[in-house]
Amino acid sequence: MVPQEIVTLLQVFLFPGFLFLFCLAFFSDWMDRKLVAKFQNRYGPLYTGPKGILQPVADFFKLLAKEDIIPIAADKTVFSVVPMLVLALSMTPLFLIPMIDYSALIWFEGDLIVIMFITTLVIVAMFMGAWASTNRFSTIGGMRVGLQMLGYEIPMTIAMIGPAISSKSLSVSGIVQSQAVGIWYVITQPLGFAVALICLLAHLQRVPFDVPEAESEIVAGWLVEFSGKKLALLKLSKNFELVLAGSLLVSLFLGGPLGFWLPHPSVYFFLKLIVCIFILSNLRALFARFRIDQVLEGAWKYLTPLALLQIILVVI
Amino acid sequence: MINVLLSLPFVFIVSLGFSIVLYLVGAVISPKNKKTKGKLAPYACGEELPPQKFQVNVRSFFLYVTFFMIFDISAFLLAMSFSVHGPYPAIFGAVIILALVWLLMTWRREKKRA
Repeated sequence: MVPQEIVTLLQVFLFPGFLFLFCLAFFSDWMDRKLVAKFQNRYGPLYTGPKGILQPVADFFKLLAKEDIIPIAADKTVFSVVPMLVLALSMTPLFLIPMIDYSALIWFEGDLIVIMFITTLVIVAMFMGAWASTNRFSTIGGMRVGLQMLGYEIPMTIAMIGPAISSKSLSVSGIVQSQAVGIWYVITQPLGFAVALICLLAHLQRVPFDVPEAESEIVAGWLVEFSGKKLALLKLSKNFELVLAGSLLVSLFLGGPLGFWLPHPSVYFFLKLIVCIFILSNLRALFARFRIDQVLEGAWKYLTPLALLQIILVVI
Repeated sequence: MINVLLSLPFVFIVSLGFSIVLYLVGAVISPKNKKTKGKLAPYACGEELPPQKFQVNVRSFFLYVTFFMIFDISAFLLAMSFSVHGPYPAIFGAVIILALVWLLMTWRREKKRA
């Protein structure tokens, strides 16, 4: 018999732990690139691995091996710490999500709030990085990061509270388990699902909401001065954020790893995750960019009342 | 032991460790070239932009931040109060709405003055 400690250690480091999450992040990046390429009538990654599936890994290591430049005016400590902090913070909440079982590796009452707190903390770290790099473009980008967060954070929180109220549990695992008894919350709370999807798109800074890094106006926004290994870590953290957004949608609204008859629940989880990533990439290929004032107005005038309406409907 | 392994701080520390290791790997395998003045200057598209820190205009943030705080707190109150019976959630909600009304009135007065 293998001791329980070793099993747990393998779970944390291999499956569904760090190694697996790295693979998932790279895979989601590949899928995203390939899908958007298909939508835009291009080929997308082709050569590295079968159908270019190893291209994100190759890109990551290529970027890691590039020269790293710290601008002379930058705040060197904050500037170097921010990429590592952002990567670590976007990796951590994935352990709170039930992927291969009905309860996550780590779960406690209130971990939904911890996930929301960590996603806000990532935004604060991005703002600090933009501020520390002392560049006009990145300062504007950092301000936009902060403003956009002030817009989408409220509707996102309220929309995610909806499933918590219906299931009377503030833990992601508890919400998944309550959907095993009842029906999926996407059926009872379609408005909440739509609001959460839009707000997560804004959180990921993807195309309709890519104001903070609008490349045709402010070069690369808050990322302007990051290069080499720092840029590699930040890009990787974006992939983790994509996986996190998809799996949050899956576990809060689409029933997480719940399925009908296949042998293992994780199969269902990954099918649903792929659908969610497909929706997120699909929207990226369809829309043009909003202005920052349009984002804020839309979030406060339409998304917040809709999310509140959903809550009222749930309580009634 | 299992409790330590399956705790959020441990996972956070390990993921921070992974990021630091990746950072150090990058530091080892990246080339070290001579740092010229142009390379270290802040990025600019052809203009002369001297390196300087900028002030973020906090006044324009203020209203949004206050609304943000009020709504965030009310969202968490909603989340916490789903199993509470009695008037407490309603009282808290009323306090929040009063604060909102007060804020809107102050804002309009400020706007008139400006």
